[in-house]
Amino acid sequence: MRKNSPKIKRKIFDKETLTQSLKLPGDVMMGALVVTMTGNREAWIENYRGILEYTDSVILLQGKTCQICFQGKKLSIDYYTNEDMKISGYISSVTYL
Amino acid sequence: MIAFLKYLRGYVRIRVWGFSPERFMNLCSNRNILLWDIQKDGDVYEMYISLKGFFSLRPIVRKTGTRVAVLKRCGLPFFLPKVRARKFFVLGLMVAVIFWFWTSLYVWEISLSGNYSITEDVFHDFLKEQDIFVGMSKGKVDIEELEKQIRRQFDQVTWTSAKLEGTKLRIVIKENENLQYEVKEDTEKYIYGSDLVAQADGLIVSMIVRSGVPQVTIGQEILTGDVLVAGNVPVNNEDGTVRKYQYVRSDADIYVQRKLSVREVLPIEYTDRVYTGRTTSHTYVGSGEKGLELSTKKVTYPYYDTLIEKKDIQLLKGLTLPLFWGKITYREYLNVEKRRGEEDAKKLLEIKYSEILSSLDEKGVQIIEKDVKIDRDNIHWILEGEFTVIQRIGIEQPGTVEQIVGTMMK
Repeated sequence: MRKNSPKIKRKIFDKETLTQSLKLPGDVMMGALVVTMTGNREAWIENYRGILEYTDSVILLQGKTCQICFQGKKLSIDYYTNEDMKISGYISSVTYL
Repeated sequence: MIAFLKYLRGYVRIRVWGFSPERFMNLCSNRNILLWDIQKDGDVYEMYISLKGFFSLRPIVRKTGTRVAVLKRCGLPFFLPKVRARKFFVLGLMVAVIFWFWTSLYVWEISLSGNYSITEDVFHDFLKEQDIFVGMSKGKVDIEELEKQIRRQFDQVTWTSAKLEGTKLRIVIKENENLQYEVKEDTEKYIYGSDLVAQADGLIVSMIVRSGVPQVTIGQEILTGDVLVAGNVPVNNEDGTVRKYQYVRSDADIYVQRKLSVREVLPIEYTDRVYTGRTTSHTYVGSGEKGLELSTKKVTYPYYDTLIEKKDIQLLKGLTLPLFWGKITYREYLNVEKRRGEEDAKKLLEIKYSEILSSLDEKGVQIIEKDVKIDRDNIHWILEGEFTVIQRIGIEQPGTVEQIVGTMMK
């Protein structure tokens, strides 16, 4: 019984509530994707896990909790590191899967 | 900056294909290997990867079942070995850079602007005196001292600016347009006023005295050296004796009528240079005043004159080398004895005559009577005659101290 009680408590104070109540930045605490876009030409993405698919019309990225899909034309990755990446091209849609 | 660092470390363009290139990229990013400019070309991906990253690719490639090929090598690590193979090229480049740097430490051109009354020749002579010349070290140019010396040497210069622009010494001056400076300069010279002295004989026809005591009257004959206006104005006592003198600078318009004789002589027989049209040209190179002909041929003409054309060698705008090249031309001529006919002589003498007239006109001399004729003796054509002219006279000369004659007042 003793072993189980902390588990129940942790569920009550789950991460989302904690971040919201403490007003901590969501991307740090939750590992949420951060997407910064300028117009439809460039996008900077942080907090992703990896590339799932990369063609010049679709770029599919794996985040911690979801996947993000950029669709468009002439898409290319300008740089790709552990922290962030930059996509450029004509982005027509951004979809969360 | 980042681009430069990338260049310094070296990078390669690679082509990746095979089982799962996406996983390849993910693994690269996990291991902190930077990838950039990733492009998909059909089934293959092309991307840049740092050189360091490239060497640690082997386990990733094995794991993901992809294949990697190098397309292009960029950066310093690839460039250096090429350089090592071209030692003399590098040596030459370094010598060129050092030479360039070394030559940029000297003044190669001096430009002057803003001068109206000071001619460039006069100014360049002055610069030579100040030890400022083309080809001197830039470090030896003392700009402030130069500016000071310019102002000291040329009174009409009210403002100067000298600056070094690259290898060019640019001097800008501004001259005083109304020549007030003379008054300032002369105050010491004319501490006891000044007299006006006649520089020619003649009969006075008109005089207006603005300051000073006139010593002559209209209608009087004067001789060279006569004092026309005296600058010491006496201040009298009540009894008529002079108490003291006030010294002023004399100023007057005095016109005299005088005879002016003219005589121009032209020999009847003369030798004339007749060019035969035969010329020899050699290339001419040199530096400064000295030049050298690039030819071993001797000139065989008995009489010739030489013509030298020089061109300065300018590397860039503002960078002139103290070298010149050009052409030296020898022109052969013959001395031909000639006799001048009457018409020919008259034409030449009339040209000279009109030159005399215009030079008199420039001096403000008014001619009221001319009596000139052309004549000849055995060997000369002679233009002889006399003008009656009216001209302004009077030269300013420093005044003298007048001793007061008489007893001191009690």
